[in-house]
Amino acid sequence: MQRESEIRDPLILGKKSYHDITRDVSRPVEGKANKYWWALFSLSLVLFGWGVLCILYTVGTGIGSWGLNKTINWAWDITNFVWWIGIGHAGTLISAVLLLFRQKWRMAINRSAEAMTIFGVVQAGLFPVIHMGRPWLAYWVFPIPNQFGSLWVNFNSPLLWDVFAISTYLTVSTVFWYIGLIPDFAMLRDRMSAKIAPMKKKLYSFLAFGWTGKAKHWQRFEEVSLVLAGLATPLVFSVHSIVSMDFATSVIPGWHTTIFPPYFVLGALFSGFAMVETLLIIMRKVVNLESYITIKHVVYMNVIILLTGSLVGTAYITELFMAWYSGVEYEQYAFINRATGPYWWSYALMMGCNVLTPQLYWIKSIRESFIATFVLSIFVNIGMWFERFVIIVTSLHRDFLPSSWTMFSPTFIDIGVYLGTIGFFFVLFLMYARTFPVIAQAELKTIVKSSGSEYKK
Amino acid sequence: MTKIKTYWKGLAEFNQKPLVEKLKQNEFVEEIAVDDFLSDKNIPSTSTTRRDFLKFLGFSTAAATLASCEAPIVKSIPYVNKPEEIVPGIANYYATTMYDGHDYASILVKTREGRPIKIESNKTCTNARVQASVLSLYDSGRLKEPIKNNNIISYSSLDSEIKSQLSRISEKNGNIVILTPSLISPSTRKLINQFSSKYNNVKHIQLDSVSSHSILEANKLSFDTRVLPMYRFDKAKVIASFGADFIGGWGHPNNEGDYIKGRNPKNKIMSKHYQIESTLTLTGSNACERLQIKPSEQKGLLSNLYEYIVGKSEVDKRIEKLAKNLKNNKGNSIVVCNSNDIETQVIVNAINFELENFEKTIILSKPSYLKQASDDEVNSLISDMNNGKIDALITHNVNPSYTLQNGSEYDKGLKKVGLKVATSLYKDESASQMTYCVPDNHFLESWGDAHPTFGEYSLMQPTIKQLFNGRQFQDSLMVWMGLSDGYQKFLQVFYNNWGINWDKALHDGYFNINEDFVSPNYKYVDGFNGFLTKINKANYIEFEMAEKISMGDGSQSNNPWLQELPDPLSRASWDNYLTMSAATARKLGVKNWNVSNGALNGSVVSLTVNGLTYTNVPVMIQPGQALDTVSMAIGYGRTAAGKCGNNIGFNAFKLGYGKADIKLIDGEHEFAATQLHHTMMGRDIVKETTLADYILDPSSGNKKAKYLTYKGKQPAEEVTLWDDHDHKTGHFWNQSIDLSLCTGCAACVIACHAENNVPVVGKEEIRKSRDMHWLRIDRYFSSEMTKQKAADENISSIEMYAEMEDPSANPEVVFQPVMCQHCNKAPCENVCPVAATTHSREGLNHMTYNRCIGTRYCANNCPYKVRRFNWFKYNENDKFDFNMNDDYGKMVLNPDVVVRSRGVIEKCSMCIQMIQAIKLKAKMTGKPVADEDVQTACSSACSTGAMVFGDANNETHSIYELKKDERMYSLLDHLNTAPSVFYQTKIRNKS
Repeated sequence: MQRESEIRDPLILGKKSYHDITRDVSRPVEGKANKYWWALFSLSLVLFGWGVLCILYTVGTGIGSWGLNKTINWAWDITNFVWWIGIGHAGTLISAVLLLFRQKWRMAINRSAEAMTIFGVVQAGLFPVIHMGRPWLAYWVFPIPNQFGSLWVNFNSPLLWDVFAISTYLTVSTVFWYIGLIPDFAMLRDRMSAKIAPMKKKLYSFLAFGWTGKAKHWQRFEEVSLVLAGLATPLVFSVHSIVSMDFATSVIPGWHTTIFPPYFVLGALFSGFAMVETLLIIMRKVVNLESYITIKHVVYMNVIILLTGSLVGTAYITELFMAWYSGVEYEQYAFINRATGPYWWSYALMMGCNVLTPQLYWIKSIRESFIATFVLSIFVNIGMWFERFVIIVTSLHRDFLPSSWTMFSPTFIDIGVYLGTIGFFFVLFLMYARTFPVIAQAELKTIVKSSGSEYKK
Repeated sequence: MTKIKTYWKGLAEFNQKPLVEKLKQNEFVEEIAVDDFLSDKNIPSTSTTRRDFLKFLGFSTAAATLASCEAPIVKSIPYVNKPEEIVPGIANYYATTMYDGHDYASILVKTREGRPIKIESNKTCTNARVQASVLSLYDSGRLKEPIKNNNIISYSSLDSEIKSQLSRISEKNGNIVILTPSLISPSTRKLINQFSSKYNNVKHIQLDSVSSHSILEANKLSFDTRVLPMYRFDKAKVIASFGADFIGGWGHPNNEGDYIKGRNPKNKIMSKHYQIESTLTLTGSNACERLQIKPSEQKGLLSNLYEYIVGKSEVDKRIEKLAKNLKNNKGNSIVVCNSNDIETQVIVNAINFELENFEKTIILSKPSYLKQASDDEVNSLISDMNNGKIDALITHNVNPSYTLQNGSEYDKGLKKVGLKVATSLYKDESASQMTYCVPDNHFLESWGDAHPTFGEYSLMQPTIKQLFNGRQFQDSLMVWMGLSDGYQKFLQVFYNNWGINWDKALHDGYFNINEDFVSPNYKYVDGFNGFLTKINKANYIEFEMAEKISMGDGSQSNNPWLQELPDPLSRASWDNYLTMSAATARKLGVKNWNVSNGALNGSVVSLTVNGLTYTNVPVMIQPGQALDTVSMAIGYGRTAAGKCGNNIGFNAFKLGYGKADIKLIDGEHEFAATQLHHTMMGRDIVKETTLADYILDPSSGNKKAKYLTYKGKQPAEEVTLWDDHDHKTGHFWNQSIDLSLCTGCAACVIACHAENNVPVVGKEEIRKSRDMHWLRIDRYFSSEMTKQKAADENISSIEMYAEMEDPSANPEVVFQPVMCQHCNKAPCENVCPVAATTHSREGLNHMTYNRCIGTRYCANNCPYKVRRFNWFKYNENDKFDFNMNDDYGKMVLNPDVVVRSRGVIEKCSMCIQMIQAIKLKAKMTGKPVADEDVQTACSSACSTGAMVFGDANNETHSIYELKKDERMYSLLDHLNTAPSVFYQTKIRNKS
């Protein structure tokens, strides 16, 4: 039995017994969905459908249906890709790194954060495929032995590194997530009546992998969790580092920067935590988890946002400094153009949302307000989207030869595909919220008696 | 048991039971003669049984079902007997002549399997329009059948009707007029003479869309000889051009090559070229010094120049240097002028005479015959037509309704002409008003000859059977004269009579004949001094028409390659607009701006010149346009050109020259420009120096990028992490582009389109910055703001870069052809995930279309932005209804180059198919690759020798020396991409 200092704020509010937790966690799965859920789900489904149509149109007619051109060959597609990948990062950090650091507050949020990771990576994974001119040949990026002669993938290409990085990330995250889910599925299975809901019972029985809660099960569960946490931890840093190398290894001023790997990882954590906040602040209301996802959790995340946001801001300023200090005129112009060129507004949005807004968390009342946090998390999400837009589009649109300089404007297909992935993400997330135990209840129960408010008195 | 009742139908049944029973058994009263149609009566054993019948039924049903399934229709027909000279896969070349009334060139035509697919220069320079004319051959918008009043008619009835009408007119002594462009064909001249002996009162009148009437008449006045002299720009040390765009089309096609011959910095001597003009022309952009004047000042300035040269007056300050330079280079200078005022041209003649240029740089005794038309004759024809004096008008390849300023007068007069016959390639603005239209043959389908300049002849031969039911003009004339031999025979006999070796001449495409020419009598006209005027600048905005390198006089305006070819100066395609300086635009409230995707928009105005008003005229702000002058290109505003050329812009022919009333009106115009940014932003992209500096230090202006390393300062190419490719063994294909020799004429761009099946994407896509050009010619204007100025005046970088975006009002211009640089350390190659772009042993960057999955990473990482993505399917797609969506247009495709599919990247391959062909040829003959054979489409189209392609490992090839030249530099050398394409610094002859 753990002991926790009296002065620490409780992580579980109210008088919660083990059974209360079980009931609270299984309520969304066993009960009926409320109208908010249905409203959100319908909206997401519509967006998703629209996105599917836009993707089909793109595949049917060509990438020309997007706003790209001879100079700017990537824009919203890769912006969205990096954005979604970045969002995923908080989940892995929470479930893996915080596990290794024995941060108990992660227990209330890791399940959903990890779900967000996986659903985010699914969205991200869409873009490299659909942005291809010939997506039906996408499998060529895998080193599959073939009979085309000596054809093989190009291991020099950062895009190939992406393939490995992302597929590894998705696999490890999913396995890690699933292992954590097994005891909770077993809990759901045990609560299901074979008479009332035979199908559900069967389904959860299958998903629970025969978990009976034996001590040996728990021992293995703990071990494998640690091992996977160890495996996932480097991924938190490697995936976005590799994504950043798409840009860092190129020759384009504004892309060709050695600071990118750490800068991208920090940005990813920054945006990931913001997205976790956005989701959980809604979810705690919608599925009545106010006792478990408390202001304390939000404050912890806000602190991380403040830290990573400041580091990201430092990276921005370092980039500017390096451009000036390098004395390379192309580099200098790239940054002057970012700040004062035709896309100055996107740079201003990026700076404002990512550097200035998190600084508001120095103020305690803002840091401890759900509403302020929610609003600021949206700002961060927007800011981080624009960060990628700034990096990709404003670097490309004015590169070396002024004769090729032009600009980018999205078409409704570009916008449709992006909204479609948001819709898809929420479709998955909302379905998850109704079928999965949204809190790792088995783990949470281990801290009821040490961090529960009832026991702290 | 009840008895079954029997009912009878009648007594007959009751009485004759057996017969009725028998009849009941037969279902059909009459026997169906199945055997008759299913068996052969002659063979008794073939009677058809029921089973046979079912078999037949089954078979025919199956056959009908199968037949109704669509089988792919392969529209190729195999040779029954293979023609001896055609080997599939091997190109045949034929020498012929291109002449369409506006452009002349002696050319080589590359044909594959009987299809002409590419035009190469034979003896004269080829410009973009000549290069593109091969596509005009396959224009399905051409006139296909002879028509009478818009109805198709057979040749026999057309000929008999025309013949009978001609005889009737001839009997009545009516006037018959044959209207042609400047006729440079001696045999056709003879034919017309024969025609006029057959019919009474035949008059041959020539009509040039862009006439040289004023020069011809001035020469008549000055020297009593009505000819166009040959200008030897190569021999001139000082060139003063008053508005004459001699690179862009004014005068002889060889001007461009000659001009550059006198400007090769290698010789350490360059001609000094002054351009005094109001509209920035291609020639003006190549000039050493350019003075902006208003058209109204031209005559006064020339008068002043004349008076200065003869020592009568002080020279105008603006042309002081020019005048002194001219005076110091007597016999070594040229003064030319584009004025259509005879008096002005007489003054020009007087200046050249005083400068002793005649017979030295201006050869009047060996003239050019390319422009012969007289405006006076045309005008008197029009008034005759209006007076009902013309009874028959036969036109050949002219479009007076469109090209004449007084075209409406012509149209009015045409209604009073009895017999109206057009032989024309198109049912154009003029031909559509004629009673009879005979589809003319394209020059690639025709026989013919040309006498372009003194002593020089060239022949025209068909390179393909007529695509349509056409008949060339000369054949028509002969039929109407009652001659049945055909023009081919006539032509051959014509030259055989001259003692020409026909076969050799046809093979070579050209031949020379020593002709006697009476040297002109150099004299002054009486009262010439009365022509001289003071410089009086008009105080209104003046309009002048200009000619674009792409569109010329508009006769090829249905050619999508030319429509999509960006203007070298404005870089806009598919458009015609009023050009205006920034200052004039500011005064009028006219603006140009970029919309969110970067595309250029402009204000629209209403323009009134000489009483004609055009509304919604778009305005392009053009640096270099003189203050308070505006100009617009001819060749647009066609209404009957075909689907590509119709309704683009306005017809500037109708405006002529004069005062322009311009009013800003509501609305905006969407331009489609391939280059949206006009200055170099202080970057070392085009390196340049002056001639004086170059002579002192050949590497001046060519500062190489250096990096500080542990070994000290090292040139960029030494600082690398990569291993070099082995380029010592085998070939190492390199291309040198001399920026001093490049005039920006864009012939190479069209040659590249033709050779490499580059798709046309249309205005909307160009506007989205999605041109597919593998080779582009970047054009940069100088800016008032320079790094030096910013440093001197302590201007911040932000402000400096902002001001650098604006070009000067009278900028210096540079042209830089950019294709794939074939980097030997290519940024594109290492980022492709599937290795679709790879490096060759021979220094080329390959693109494997089949392997490309279209991530476009290579295009992003290309510092030169030369990679082009197939955003859509550009062939056989109704949304891109250009030549690749047309059964005729597709015939121009080069079978050696794959037509790229949607979703793949494409780019310059350095014409790998041409290199491979040469290598195979060398292999077969067992000889090493001959230097002169190795060419790319662009280098062979280059009239000035700016582009040189070859094997840099071959010490005898000029590329070997060029690579070592002190002027040689790689574009963006600080990136150390080690390109196989390199540039030679631009040398300007200025102080």
